Amino acid sequence: MTAPATALRKALDWGKLAPLRLRAKTVADGVYAGGHRSRRRGAGIEFGGQRSYVPGDDLRFIDRHALLRHGTLLVRQFETETDRTLCLLVDASLSMSYRSEEAPGAKYAYAALIAAALCKIAVGAGDRVSLDWFGGERTAELATAGGREAFERVVGALETAEPSADLKSDLPALERAVARVERRAGRGSTVVVLSDLLDLPEGAEAAIGTLGARGKTLTVARVLDPTEVNFPFTGPLHLRALEGEARVETDAAAARPQYLAALEEQASRWSARLLSRGGSLVLLNSADDPVRAVRKILDSVAGLS
Amino acid sequence: MSFLVAAALGVGLFVAIPIAAHLLRRGRARERDFPPTALVPVARSVARERATLEDRLLLAIRALLIACLAVIGATPFVQCSRLSLNRSAGASVAFALVVDDSHSMRARGAEGVRFERALRAARELLASAREGDAIAIVLAGRPARLALAATTDLNAARRALADLTESDRSTDLEGAVSLARTSVASVPHRDKRVVLLSDLAGGALSDGSEGPPPLWAPVPELATPLENCGIFGAERRGRRISAHVACTSAAAAAGRAVSLVGDKSGKPLPLAARGGIQELGLDLDPKLERSELELTGGDALASDDRCPLAAESASLGVMVAVDVSNASAKTGGPPVLEQAVGALESSAALHPIAVLPDDANEYRNNALLLLDDPGGITPEARSALASFVGRGGVAVAFLGPRVEQTPLGATLEPFVHGAVHWESKADGDVNTASLAWLGAEASSMQDLKLRGRAGLSTTDLLGARILATFGDGQPFLTKRELGRGALFTVALPTSVEHGNFPLRPAFLALLDYFLNEARTRRGAAQSVAGSEWSFPLGASVSIEGPRGALAVREAARAAGSTQKSATPTLAGRYTLRIDDKSEERVATVDPSEITTLPQKPPASAAQTRASANAGSVDASPELGFVALALLALELGLRVFRRVTRERGLTSAAAQRS
Repeated sequence: MTAPATALRKALDWGKLAPLRLRAKTVADGVYAGGHRSRRRGAGIEFGGQRSYVPGDDLRFIDRHALLRHGTLLVRQFETETDRTLCLLVDASLSMSYRSEEAPGAKYAYAALIAAALCKIAVGAGDRVSLDWFGGERTAELATAGGREAFERVVGALETAEPSADLKSDLPALERAVARVERRAGRGSTVVVLSDLLDLPEGAEAAIGTLGARGKTLTVARVLDPTEVNFPFTGPLHLRALEGEARVETDAAAARPQYLAALEEQASRWSARLLSRGGSLVLLNSADDPVRAVRKILDSVAGLS
Repeated sequence: MSFLVAAALGVGLFVAIPIAAHLLRRGRARERDFPPTALVPVARSVARERATLEDRLLLAIRALLIACLAVIGATPFVQCSRLSLNRSAGASVAFALVVDDSHSMRARGAEGVRFERALRAARELLASAREGDAIAIVLAGRPARLALAATTDLNAARRALADLTESDRSTDLEGAVSLARTSVASVPHRDKRVVLLSDLAGGALSDGSEGPPPLWAPVPELATPLENCGIFGAERRGRRISAHVACTSAAAAAGRAVSLVGDKSGKPLPLAARGGIQELGLDLDPKLERSELELTGGDALASDDRCPLAAESASLGVMVAVDVSNASAKTGGPPVLEQAVGALESSAALHPIAVLPDDANEYRNNALLLLDDPGGITPEARSALASFVGRGGVAVAFLGPRVEQTPLGATLEPFVHGAVHWESKADGDVNTASLAWLGAEASSMQDLKLRGRAGLSTTDLLGARILATFGDGQPFLTKRELGRGALFTVALPTSVEHGNFPLRPAFLALLDYFLNEARTRRGAAQSVAGSEWSFPLGASVSIEGPRGALAVREAARAAGSTQKSATPTLAGRYTLRIDDKSEERVATVDPSEITTLPQKPPASAAQTRASANAGSVDASPELGFVALALLALELGLRVFRRVTRERGLTSAAAQRS
């Protein structure tokens, strides 16, 4: 392949998702305004309800008034409003540059929009944000920071980065990115991974799953193109993967059911692995409304999904 | 092949375009990026097979479509084995089909019977005719007949063609071509042709046949020579049989013999190994008088290998009563009248007589009596003559100066009543207009330098009709019907001493008329198929022929009379019943139908064939329909494929939901 052709192929198709900064603000405004409250219950100031006593509970929190009135052992719970860190880990591998005619932009552009919107929401709530990558070129890792300036830096970094690199056989690169996030994310942090989960090396599930350990909230948002979701092709096909050397010659009608089943099976596998680590998987279609996508992530983070 | 044909057919090379596109497309599907490729299973065989099947069908349709367009472009020049009419600038055509239904057309060649081949060609030409084309059908069997006058009604032409049947007539090609030209002369079409469907045997066209509209002989294979021998006459003569056999060549005659059917004792009489006509004599078993002669072996024409025996004296008997001293030519030889009859009817049996017979039996075996300058008829002779005429004989009296020398007791009855005067000073010539029914020869009756004529009074004619007059209105020729026969009276003698009448062509034409009249009234026991048999209008006639009953019709005759007539078209034995009297007649083939080999078409006809581009077919409408059908098929196939795909997608989406 010639150099201009390679450049053209690598050029990110932002489509209707540009400019990122304005689109992210719009999306964030569409979600909700104001701060959010931690739903963690435990030691805190504001009463958060009661629950039945189980052996091992701290005896200091036994509600004696309820014991005297009703004769049952109840434990009082409290809510704590905390500063939480949002750690964004964005997949900038070559497969994220894919865009079909049915999508408003490339998968990376959609993921960047979602990331920027989450950043805007987090910054607006007073939380701090960090940004890390796996794959990609001209990627800038941003340390944990808060405030308006942090949002600007995140948006700038998202706009600058270009999907690149074949991670199919580069597990160390992925592990390094995960390690960086682990170092930045303390207990109570929220980690949002934006990736298509395609063409990742063997062991990627385990590596990313570790991000849900040690009191962190892990949400993996799988961003797929509409054609990847529906496989709407017809007739004879000759398909080529963007990462790796996979090439397939097939018939669309015959391959569609098996492909969709394989895709679903892969998603189930990821969901099960994340769930075992306290994380969750959110499925996003790049043709869907970004506002709804952000809400799905927020709901997942809040444990409502 | 012209440049236009090559160019039009060259379009067909574009067939390679869809083939090339098919090959390129069939090679591989277009490669496309798809990140989750690793999740897509391989289903190559199904994809390939389906694509191949669909593509091949589309390829075939497109290739056929292009080929159709190419042929449509070249269609006006495409040749095929089917005959068709070539049109100049697509204009309507008027053509006369001359179909030869003579005996020689019954021969069977490599392509079947010639007559059937000619009919097939006629049908093919008719099939290529379009609305607006004028068609006439003329039959070339003697006499040439108009089967269908020029008409634009194609259905009528098809019906007329379907009604044509083969016959054993002789050939009258000249007359048929002339009739065909006349039949299309009056139609307004500019493009006129005469299509000759004949073997040109038995009567080739002369060089004088050229002329507008041009001749076209589109089936030259009809003129392929064939070996044939045929019996064209078998007459009883006492205890013997006189057989006449004609062969096309020595090869046809070699090894063949004539035998009497049913005669087990007699040996077949071998033919001389030569072509042409030969006469053979065989012994006749009296028990086999109604049998047939047959030729051993086989040839291209089987129907003339048998011939029924005809009654004795089947040839036309002519009695001539002439005063040799007055009616002979100065150069010597027989009298002019006898010479003329011999020239006109070579097979006629001439019986010169000095006096009229007093016994009616003496007229037996004679059909015509020619009486020159009679000096009176005695009562006995008159009675015998009346009996002869009443039985179908024809008597002609050429009156001369001896009409004034009638002896006592003799009269000129039954020709004229009373005394007839000889006018030595005749004024004027014969009124040629009154003799127009005789034909073109009538014009020769001018300036006869007459030295006299018989003065026939209209009151003395005994009910006879005047057929021709002199310039002053006096009767020149009269005719009186008597029984089945007729009496003719001519007011001039046959002697050249009294004028130039016997030296003029009209004299021969008049004699020919009398001979025909005698032949038809007497009904020759043996005649050529196609010759007309005439009967008195009041007679009751029924005829049984080789193929059942023969139609008897009323027909207008020359000189304005009406008679019953029938025409035997097939050779064979016919049984006639006339007024409760039965007789047999035999129709034979004309020997020239056998001995005259097929001729090549005239040069003009061959040239016309070349210029007419025989066999070219304009199949544009049919090909246009085919092209449209192919186009519709391709569109239908595309729609079907699209619908099938959409259904597949819908069902897949339903399964996912």
